[in-house]
Order: sequence, then structure tokens, then C-alpha cells
Amino acid sequence: MSWVDVPILAVFCLLIVLPLLSVLAQAVMPALFDPKAPGFGLDVSALDHALFAPRVLRSIWHSVELGAAVAVTATLTGGLFAALTQRFRLPLRALYAPVPWLVFLTPGYLKAMAWVLLMAPGGYLAQMGLLPHWGSDAFFGLGGLVLVHTLSLFPLPAFIIGSALTGLGQDIEDAARLSGAGPWRIWLRINLPLLLPAIALSLIATFAEVLSDFGLAATIARSAGFGVLTYGIYAAASDYPVDFPLAGAEALVLLTLILLVTLGDRLLRRQGALRLISGRSKPSQRHELGPWARWAWAAVIVAIGVLAIWLPLGVILVRAFTATLGAGLDQSNFTMANITQTLSPDAPALSSILRSFGYAALTALIAATIALILAARLDRAGPNLRASVTGLALGTIAIPGIVLGFGYILVWNRLPGFRDWPFPHYGQASLLVMGYVASALPYCLIIILTAVGQLAPSLTDAARLHGHGVAARLVKVVLPLVLLSVITAVLLTFIRTVFELPISQLLVPQTGSPVPPYVVRLLGHDDDGLASALALVCMVGAGAIAGLGWRVAQKHLTFAAKERPQ
Amino acid sequence: MMKRASLGLALLLSTAALPAAAADLVLYDALDFAGHVAEAFTKATGVTVDVVEPGSTGETLGKIAAEGNNPQFDILWVDGSAVFERLMQDGSVQAIPADIAAAAKFNDLGKALMPASMAFIPTGASTTAIEVNTTKVAEADYPKSWADLAKFAGAVAAKDPNLSGPAYQWLAGFFQTNGVDAGKALLAEVLTNKDLSGLGSGGKINKAVLTGDAKVGINQDSSIIAKQVAGEPVVAVYPSEGSVALPEGLGIGAKSQHMEAVAKFIAFVTSPEGQAAMQDGDDTDFFFIPVIDGVKPKAERPAVTFITLDDKAASEHETEWKQWYKDSFVPQ
Repeated sequence: MSWVDVPILAVFCLLIVLPLLSVLAQAVMPALFDPKAPGFGLDVSALDHALFAPRVLRSIWHSVELGAAVAVTATLTGGLFAALTQRFRLPLRALYAPVPWLVFLTPGYLKAMAWVLLMAPGGYLAQMGLLPHWGSDAFFGLGGLVLVHTLSLFPLPAFIIGSALTGLGQDIEDAARLSGAGPWRIWLRINLPLLLPAIALSLIATFAEVLSDFGLAATIARSAGFGVLTYGIYAAASDYPVDFPLAGAEALVLLTLILLVTLGDRLLRRQGALRLISGRSKPSQRHELGPWARWAWAAVIVAIGVLAIWLPLGVILVRAFTATLGAGLDQSNFTMANITQTLSPDAPALSSILRSFGYAALTALIAATIALILAARLDRAGPNLRASVTGLALGTIAIPGIVLGFGYILVWNRLPGFRDWPFPHYGQASLLVMGYVASALPYCLIIILTAVGQLAPSLTDAARLHGHGVAARLVKVVLPLVLLSVITAVLLTFIRTVFELPISQLLVPQTGSPVPPYVVRLLGHDDDGLASALALVCMVGAGAIAGLGWRVAQKHLTFAAKERPQ
Repeated sequence: MMKRASLGLALLLSTAALPAAAADLVLYDALDFAGHVAEAFTKATGVTVDVVEPGSTGETLGKIAAEGNNPQFDILWVDGSAVFERLMQDGSVQAIPADIAAAAKFNDLGKALMPASMAFIPTGASTTAIEVNTTKVAEADYPKSWADLAKFAGAVAAKDPNLSGPAYQWLAGFFQTNGVDAGKALLAEVLTNKDLSGLGSGGKINKAVLTGDAKVGINQDSSIIAKQVAGEPVVAVYPSEGSVALPEGLGIGAKSQHMEAVAKFIAFVTSPEGQAAMQDGDDTDFFFIPVIDGVKPKAERPAVTFITLDDKAASEHETEWKQWYKDSFVPQ
């Protein structure tokens, strides 16, 4: 490691390691942030409380139970979705093709909001007589959480299993068919065993996602009284009287669980390297099905799409344009009032949207820039540094935003030295943006690092021989070549950040709230009409900005084909 | 071209995020009218206010606790008197300077609510009452006292004092009027349905009572009155054991650097103009009982006679009683 690597590690320490340590250390040093007599005394009573108090134990059990159930249901749904859409020619493609991406980009708490509007005792389904009272009761508990999580997370297994299916090719299937195996037998005896590593990876990734989720924990789980670990951390750190040591101990338990599944994931990835897939595989074909099977399976896929995205979006749309939930779809109930209130120039809703868009744009630019510099530097760094920073980045994805946000308060409002720094400063937008950058950086780094890794070293070497410095090489050679992935990273970060909940909730600037905590607060006050209107306007706006950016990028970045010699 | 377009777009968006110049005052609150009053204050005096509303009273106090010995607010405006005593002990708020307190023209209730510790200055009051759904309970069967709630065991909606400031004031007052042990025994008999006894806000109590999930609820009276005014079939019954006043108080941040602006804000709130702004709305908190001489409550609010809460006992037992409530009545 050389001295140039020091800034890289310093950035990571400041953004991630230090806040994380200040949360976790309290589990064993409860007086660390005591307002009157801070100290470093060791005391494991908080940890003891976290591991043996019935309430905390129950929340650990709830998290694990929910995670395990959703891992299975989401993997089954995602696997089915991937298999059907990739291997069979089905009608109505336009209705389901964009579904995984739309679901992936719609935040959990908005989907949760839509489902609550549907399933609440006085909600839309009950009004239409489609939902008995017991159905509503069952929804506000494990059953409803599994349903909403499954519909919300199935794209992850669909992506993982889908890419494994693509890699599987056609050869093996053809060989089995020539040997007389029927379609069901081929799937059960050939494809399924070959897909096992991808299935296991899906199970693990979904489990970890559920464990670190805060969106559903703060909405459906909270109103159902179904305590989970992430909400426990939030409550311990933010409900008066606060219990920081307990929050630290719960965070430690949560991270240990996530670390365990991530280790499982790494073990599987190693095994994955032994797979049979070769570059010579014939690409798979989409099979034709009989007319009945064709429409039956299409109905299944469309139903998944409808439940996962079209129905929730429809509910938000309807609620945004109606006065009360109680009057349902009655014609007289329709109104523009919520939208007008959201868009009125002196209302807090519009300024929260503009603020969120601004913070998100700033975050996307900063995170992508840091990621680009890091990627270029890491690409030339030794394998150890590369492995450790990539490992750290992947690990950070697993750190729940709620833990990171809590750490930011501790470091920037309590630690001597940090709390007096003018910039970033707790209570100001600067710290919120820094928190956003920390949570976005790992994704940006992975997207951009993949692209930078494909560049031949000779390109930058040539530039260096022509006398270009480090900065010039980065801007004039590397950036233009990886621009498309940089833009992908910027746009994804933008959308994710506009809807980021946990860090926004903990680091709300004094100048005003960004959209996510405002939406959740409106929901808490049963002001779901305005919450829906705000979410709708925000989704349309963010989608339009990202879509426009993407179109512009695609239009101007297809030069590769033109310039390639024929 | 593409680069310039996306850069332009990004810059345009970024300007929205540029931190606005810091305001003269930072107000933390969990009251419906606070934002409206702050606006009126800025209009009247030119002093700007950043209004920070982290959520419920519990969440607001939690944010203050996370800030520890480095509180970021100049003014805190929430329901509850015991909480201010505790914040004073923790060094989050400072005593109200005598000249600022003396300038307010309190009525008798206001004078009674002004704490000896000067931890806060009262700006209004409400109390806790029994919310009854008039379509589900016949008038002859209305509960008259806390003890009568035993007849509605399992059908009583209540707030978790861990989430709601007013709910803790009620719990502490209830223990004062009914005795701690007898009170605990009564609640254990009444609150047998955890789906109803761990609710997070007055709005949720209203909902439970209006949908019929609960026959009666324990709720802040201004929240019941606000629903009544909106035309819902509910009524507030004041228990015969007596009602403990729930002051909405205004405290000053221990590290506030803006005492002059703070004094102006308090002077505005206790002026007729400020009181008018506090009544200019239909949400729960707008239906407070005035503590300033000559100010009348909104027409729909009935008069209540109060007993005074023993703030010392309430703040001493806060953690213990809240934990007991959580362990006994909040779903796991």
C-alpha cells in the first residue's frame, strides 16, 4: 500500500467505519455518549439485555422468521417469473417486461402505504366487499408482511436466477430432450440442480434484504405491532427516554446476522466458479406453448405484475385524486385538492420535493465522482487493497441505513472535534447529503468499477506517455470510455436517494424535511390523501428526470458501433 | 452536448439543495399550530424561524436526547410538564429567565401551571378524557369515572405513553388520582386487548373508536373535540376522579445563542395576536384551553376544572412507568 491509498481509506473510515463503530461500541461501553458523565467503562449489561430481554428476543425472532419466510416465497416467485419470461413465448409482454425494474425502483414504504389503503378495515377492498374483517386482521401481521415483502423483493431472485438461466444455454436441455425427457422432467432433473447455486444466492440475498429493511418495519410492521430489529434500533435511539446502549446492542445483533448470511453468500460464490457454463453454450430459446398453457402462464405472470406494481401504483393514483378513503371510488369523492395542495408554491410539500430532488442530484454527482476516482485508482492498486475496499463496499450495502444514520448523529453532534466542524454539520443539509453519499457510494463503486475493469491499461499508459497528468487521464481518457456506466450510476443513485427513508428520517435538516420522512409523517397522521399525492408527484418527477437523462445519454452515446471498423 | 445537458440538469437541481441561510430561531415542536404560529411571528416581526417537526412528541424528545449535551434548538414547544422537568435535569433546556416569564399576562390557570423550576412557560392546556362513540354506547351506559372503564374491559383504546407525550401526562395523573398499585391493577383489568392499548397517536384512538373496534378510548380531549366539530359521533366524558391539566409548554434550549429572538417569540405567543394564530385551525391542538388573561377558548371547547400534577413524582418515575406500560399493554 502506498501513501496515495491513504485518502481512499480515509474516505471510507469517515463515511462508514467511524459512524458504525460509534454505534456498535455503545453495546459494551454504555456511558460513551452519556450527556453528564461520558466514559469508556466496559459493561455488557446492554448486550445481555438485548440477548435475553423477551421483547428484544421476540423482535430478533420476528426478523429471522420474516426473513426466512420471505426468502422462500420471493425466491419461488422470482424464479417462476424468470423461468417463464425467459424460456417461453408469452403474450402481453408489455404488461410484465418492465415490472421487475419498476418494482425494484419503487420504495418499500410506498408499496406498503398502497397495501394498507387496500387492506385496512375501511380500505378499498373492504368497501368493495372483497375482504372480510378477518382478512384485514390477518394482513396486519406476519401474513401481510410476507405478502408485501415478497411482491417487493421478487425482482432480486428474478435477476439472479434469470442471469443464471441465460448462462445455462440450450445444449444440456436439447441433450435431455433427445434422450426422451419431457419438459417437466427437464426442469426438475436438469435445470433445477444446475440453478441451485443461483437459488441459494437468491435465498441469502432476500433474507439479508428483509433483515435490514426499514420501510415496511416503520409502516405495516409498526401499526401491526410486529416488532422487528430495525424498528427496535430506531425506537431505542429515537423514542424518549432513549436507550443508546440498547440500540447499539440491537445493531450488533442485526449486523452479526447479516454478516453470517453474507459469509454464506461468499462461500456460494466461490463454488459458483466451478459451474459448467461455458462460452460455447448455445443461447437459450423461448419455447412455444400450447394455447391454453400460453394464456394460463401469461395470466400468472401478469397477476404477479399487477399485484407487485400496477395495483399499488393504481391505489396511490386513486387516493391522490380522492378526498377521503371512506368514500372510496364514489364519483363525488374525486378531487384535485391533494394534487393542488402538493403543487402549491407556498405549501411544505412542493418545497420538500424540490429539496429532495436537489439533495439527490447533489448526492448522485458526488457519489459518482468519488466512485470514479476510487475505481480508477483501485483498478491500478494491489490486489489486497482492491479486495479489501470492494469487500468493504459490498459489506456496506448490507449495513442498514438506520444504523448508519444513527452513527452519523453520534459522530457529528457528539464527538468532540467533529461536532464543531462547520461543514458538514449536524442539523444541516450537508450532513444529510454526506449520509446519502455514504449509502450510495458502494452501489456506484460496483457499477463503475466493473466498467473501468474492462479498460485496457495500454490506453491510460499511452496518455501518460503523451504527458497527461493523473487528473487529465481520468477526465479525458477514462471518463469518456465509461460514461454510460457513470450515467447509469448517477441516475440509479438519484432515484434511490429521492426515496431513501432511514437516513432521511434521522438526519432531517433544520431547514426542512425531504420527501420520505414527510410522507411517513403524513401517513402517521392518517393524512393518506396528501401522502399519496406527494408520492405520486415525486415518482412522476423523479421518473421523468431519470428517463430524460437516460434518453439523452443513450442517444448520444451509441458512437461505439459507428466508429468500429467494418 | 449530452454532457453539458446532464451537467446543466444536475446543476439546476443542485441549486435547490443549496443550504438556505440559517434562520434566526430553531423551533422543535410536535403541535399542530406551531408552524402556523411561526409564520405569523415571522410576518409580524421579521424574525425567521426554522420549524423542525420530527414526528410524535416521543420522537421529538428522542431527537433531543440523541443531541445530548449539544442541543440544536432554541425553542421546544410540546405537550407535557413532566417531560420539561426531566429535560431540565438532563441539561437540554434552561430555566425561563424571570423577566420573560413576568412579561406574560397569565390567567389563574396559567399562574397555576407555571412550574417552580421555570423549566417551561405554559402557552395553553388540555386534558385527557374518555372518548365515547355515541352510536355504540347508550347515554345511560357512558362511563363516568376511570373505574367505570372496567365495564368496557377489552374494548378500550389507549395510547402508548412511550410514543405520546399527552399519554404519559395522563398515566402519571391517573396514578396520582387512583393510586399507583390500584391504578396498575385497574389498567390490567381494563386493557386486555393489546391491539387497542398500544396505539401511537390521538388520531389512531379516534379511528378505533369511530370504526367500532373500540367502544371507548382514553384520549386527549382536544382531539375528541376536533372530531366532534368535524361532525363525527363522539363525545368527551371527564372522569369523576378529576382531570390533570396537560400544559403545552415552551422551553428554551440550554445552549441557545439567540435569547433576544427567543424573548420576542415568547412575547408574540403570549400576545393576543399569537393566541389568535394558535386558534386559527381545526386540528386537535387548536382546541386548547387558554392560559392568558382575557383570551377565550374556541366556542366548542367545554370548561374543565383541573387538579395539578405532581411533576416531581411524574418525572422521577417516568422511565419505570413507561417501561411497565410497554411490557404490560404494548404488542410485542
